[in-house]
Order: sequence, then C-alpha cells, then structure tokens
Amino acid sequence: MKILACVKQVPDSSDTMAITPEGSRVVPTAATVFRMNRYDEFALEEALLMKERIPGTEVHAVTVGPERAGSTLRRALETGADHGIHILTPEVAYLDPFAVASLIASWARTRDYDLILAGVMAEDDMEGQTGQLLAAILDLPCVTSVMEARVRPADNEIDLEREIEGGLRMSVLTRMPAVLTIQSGINTPRYPSLSHVLRARRQAFEVMAMDGPALPGPLSRCTGVRLPEISSQGVIIAGTPREKARELVRILHEHAFLA
Amino acid sequence: MDSLTLIIAEQDGSTTSQELLELVSFARMLPGGGNPTIVLVGTARKDRAEKTAATTGCPVLALTGDHLGLYNPEAFCDAVLEALGDTEPAWICLAHTSTGVDLAPRLAVNLGATCITAVEGISGTTLTRAVCAGRYCADFTPSTACTVVTVLPGAFPPLPASTDTAGPVEHRAVSPGPCRSRTLGIAENTHRDSSLKDAEVIVSAGRGVGTRENISMIRELAGVFPRAAVGASRPVCDLGWLGYAHQVGSTGQTVSPKLYIACGISGAIQHLAGMRGSQLIIAINADPDAAIFRFAHYGIVEDLTTFLPILLEELRGG
Ligand SMILES: Cc1cc2nc3c(=O)[nH]c(=O)nc-3n(C[C@H](O)[C@H](O)[C@H](O)COP(=O)(O)OP(=O)(O)OC[C@H]3O[C@@H](n4cnc5c(N)ncnc54)[C@H](O)[C@@H]3O)c2cc1C
Ligand SMILES: Nc1ncnc2c1ncn2[C@@H]1O[C@H](COP(=O)(O)O)[C@@H](O)[C@H]1O
Repeated sequence: MKILACVKQVPDSSDTMAITPEGSRVVPTAATVFRMNRYDEFALEEALLMKERIPGTEVHAVTVGPERAGSTLRRALETGADHGIHILTPEVAYLDPFAVASLIASWARTRDYDLILAGVMAEDDMEGQTGQLLAAILDLPCVTSVMEARVRPADNEIDLEREIEGGLRMSVLTRMPAVLTIQSGINTPRYPSLSHVLRARRQAFEVMAMDGPALPGPLSRCTGVRLPEISSQGVIIAGTPREKARELVRILHEHAFLA
Repeated sequence: MDSLTLIIAEQDGSTTSQELLELVSFARMLPGGGNPTIVLVGTARKDRAEKTAATTGCPVLALTGDHLGLYNPEAFCDAVLEALGDTEPAWICLAHTSTGVDLAPRLAVNLGATCITAVEGISGTTLTRAVCAGRYCADFTPSTACTVVTVLPGAFPPLPASTDTAGPVEHRAVSPGPCRSRTLGIAENTHRDSSLKDAEVIVSAGRGVGTRENISMIRELAGVFPRAAVGASRPVCDLGWLGYAHQVGSTGQTVSPKLYIACGISGAIQHLAGMRGSQLIIAINADPDAAIFRFAHYGIVEDLTTFLPILLEELRGG
C-alpha cells in the first residue's frame, strides 16, 4: 500500500503570536516555536501502524508551507515516514484551505496513493476542512473524525468508526483509494527513534517551490484579526497570588459553595 | 427553487430543531437571505418537514432516495446537487456539526464555491470565526459567487418558533449515484460513562496542568467541595492523564453544574460547547488573552502550578 500523511506546521502556543499593526493577520514573533499539528501526529502514527501491519506499505508525508515547515517534515521522517514532500510556499499568513488542498491534490493526483490521511483540524486556523476538500478535488470518498481504522488490503476496503456527537460512533465501510481525517485519541503517537533520526538526517526530501502564478488563487481572504472582547460580566481578579486566592475563597463562600 | 439562500440539514440525525432555528436566523442576516429554503435530506419522515415548515415559516424541500437513510457524504452531496439543478444559490448554510463539516467542503468543491467553517459572526458578506483555540477572531470574505458556510451551534440566537404561517413543503425523490463508502450503523461508544452527571461542582483539568502528576492538585481542589467531580479537556484524556469518562465538550459530556472551575483550559469552541451552561464559571489560566476568560464570571491569570497550592492552603486555612 501507499499512504500519504498530511502534516502541517503550527505555532506551539498561540500566546507567542502577534497581530500585525494593520490588524490584518496573526503572525509569528521571535518567541514563536513551531511544531507538528497534534492531529497530524495522530494521522502519521495511524499511517505508521498500517505500515507495520501491512507488508510492503510505504508512508509519504507532505507539508505545504514556508521554508520553516521543512523542520516539521523532517520530524515526520524521523518518526518513520519513508519519504517527504515539501510544497514550498511564500511566508504568507493565510493560505486558504482550498489552495492548500489544491496543492496537495496536484502532488497526489498521479501518484496512486491508496490512502491519504489528514488531521481533523489544524490547531491554528481551525478550518477542519482541508481533508474533505482534498477528497472532493480528487473525487475520492472521505471519512472524517476517524477513531478506528482496519484496513483489509485483500478486499481493497477499510472498516472505520467515526466519532459523531452525543458519544456516538458511526461505522463506515469505504473502498480505497480514500481520504481519512484522523481524530485525536485514536492511538498514541510515537517519538522518533534513534535509527530513524539517523536515517532522516541523511535523507533529502522533495521540495516543490510554488509561488506567483503556480499558487492557486484563494477563494476567500482573511480581512481582519483581533482579540475578542471579554464579556462585561466577567471579573478578572487582581492582586498578588495570595490576594487572588483569598478573594476566590471569599467568592466561593459568598456563593455558598463552601461549608 | 429560486431562493438565493439554502439551509441544508438531515431529516433525522444530527441537526437539532434548535440548530435549525439558529441557522434560519443566521441565514436571514445574509445579504439576500430573507427567505431561505430549507432542504432536508434523508428518509421520508413527513412530520419533520411539515414541522420545520411550521416552526420556521420557510419553504421546505424534503429529499428522499437511496443511500440517504444514515448520513453518507457522497449520497447527500449528489442529492443536493441534483435538487439544485441549474439554480445558483449565493449561500448554503449548514450547522457546524459532524455532518455539516463533513458535507460542506464536498458541496463547495462541486459548486465552485468557497467553504467557510465554524462561523460565529456576520457583518455584510464578512464572516467571523475563531482561530488559535479561540484566542483570536478572524474575518473572512469569500470571493466566489456561492459560499458554503457551517454555522457554529449556539453562536446565533434561534429564530423564535412561529406557528402563524407555515412555509410550503415539497417532497421530492432524488437518485444519488453509487457510493464508494457505505454507512453501516450508529452505536453508543462503549468507553463512555457519565461520571459528571450528578456533580454540582466540576473542577476541570486542561493541557495547562502540564503533567500527569499535577492532576492530583485538581483532585484535591475538587475534594474541597461536596458533590464535586473532576472533569477534563480532550487532550488531557488523549494523554491518558484522566480517563475519557471525564471529558467535557462537544464530543465528551455536556455538563451544567452550579460551579465549573477550568484549570489550564484555553476555551476552544469544542470544550465550551460542553460547559457553557454552567451557572458560575471560574477560569485559571496563565494567558490573559485565553478564550476561556470571555466566558468566565471570574478569571485568575496565574500559573496554576504555583497558584493552586496557595489556593488549597487558603481553602484549608479558612
Ligand atoms: C471534532 C473535534 C471535537 C473536539 N471535542 C472536544 C471535546 O469534547 N472536549 C474538549 O475539551 N476538546 C475537544 N476538542 C479539542 C479542542 O479543539 C481543543 O483542542 C481542546 O479543548 C484544548 O484543550 P486544552 O484547553 O486543555 O488545551 P490547550 O488549548 O493546549 O490550552 C492549554 C491552556 O493552558 C494554559 N496554560 C499553560 N500552562 C499553564 C500554567 N502553568 N498555568 C495556567 N495555565 C496554563 C495555556 O495558556 C492554554 O490556554 C475537539 C476538537 C475537534 C476538532
Ligand atoms: N499546510 C498544510 N500542509 C499539510 N497538511 C495540511 C496543511 N493544512 C492543513 N493540512 C491538513 O489538513 C488537516 C485539516 O486542516 P484544516 O482544514 O486547516 O483545519 C490538517 O490536520 C492537516 O492534516
């Protein structure tokens, strides 16, 4: 089997990000540390588990992003992916999900992947739609929020459980090729092993530079960004930690939560 | 069908009547969205179509056909495209639920439309949604003739249910093509239980507690209150720091205790969905701009690893 895992680089925590003076986008600062989107760690792990179970399986990892995203791709190789593809884009703050999906589709279209795995959501933009877009662009079936996946290579089918609301699971059977979006908690992502780290160090990944006319035009524009207002009913308790604790205890007494 | 604005929901299944009423009030705020048509997809359940037309006053188109019993993305997409025919809606609205967010992108690609998800605000054609765990709001403007939107449940006030003029109802059979995926059934997730149901006070741990060991501070804090339980955000359960029975949120439990203390929880929409109804919300978070403070009645900006021991001391001393 051939599996493509989509991995996105995201800021480690959003409180190191800043809004540009014009208020048009959220950008990294010198303090921003980047890492792999956590949902994609689960997707990559699921691909690696399939590789362990099904002989002859190859796992490729793809990322769309600027130069720095290469470190996330390298991490995927260190974790055990066999091959990396970096679709290199300029350092623009907002690449819309359709543009990202189109770029991944242009790589995947002719390469006969049996499965394409993405995360349910990127932690920064929180679109939750790139995997579904990719499936639609490639005209493949798509199963979202996957919490269990059993591949039956002989039948070219895969049995899936997807998570829906209210603590329910939906069972789905799909033919391959297919796109799956992987939900957190499906597995326990592994750490890079020394042997993979050493191999990844020597291993080059493919870089496809995309800029200017090669970039698919965005279907939507991000026109402004701001910190949301704190609701007027809320009170931020001030003082030293000790004073805050005392005030909180007073409030809990006032509301009769403490005996 | 000549309406510029469509609302798409399942006949039965995940879109609740409340979410439908919220979708209608959202649709009415859209330019040209005054009289949206509601498209219900699924097996024939006449009562739902009639009831929807009565409570919303909107025209309802109920689609039935093969593979439309349980939600199936390919069949649902085909059904809607067939029903659309040559009409070119400007807006297609779905609820931001497991179904809505699954279907919306597929519809969008097939219609050459923009897809904008988890929308919680609108002004003209500019749609607002949360990014970075809710820390920021961002505005998005579509540049295509048609836009598919998923609307965050709870973000817009539901249209008051009216009974004066029911909208017209049309039932139509459609014939979606063969599907490559099949929905086999829906079952309860056996890993769940409802340990939080009866608690009057819930003290919840988020990823900000930092380590498995620090969960003991959360337990200790919960232990101070009678009828208290320990809750958790999803990542805390994924990390194995607490079992999934503790998970609060859209894919965990919905709780509405008298007091909810969120410790090291950012306040992502999926977590908020499960605890917004709590009577009193107290949040402890090191980031003064964390989204949780937008919903908290009392907020404490502190590192919980140093603050909780002081709080526990004060609670014991008092
Ligand atoms: C389809 C779907 C369903 C989901 N369902 C759920 C669900 O049911 N429930 C749920 O909870 N999530 C759910 N999620 C995940 C959700 O989107 C968030 O990722 C999650 O709620 C974040 O958890 P958190 O707040 O604990 O972690 P983070 O977002 O990582 O936040 C940690 C917070 O801790 C603070 N912090 C860090 N260190 C400290 C410290 N020392 N002291 C004080 N504060 C500190 C940080 O400032 C930050 O605000 C779902 C996601 C998807 C896509
Ligand atoms: N720039 C990117 N590079 C690689 N994969 C991506 C990128 N953006 C999104 N994805 C994939 O699509 C999933 C959903 O992202 P989103 O739709 O942006 O929330 C992510 O979890 C990734 O697997």
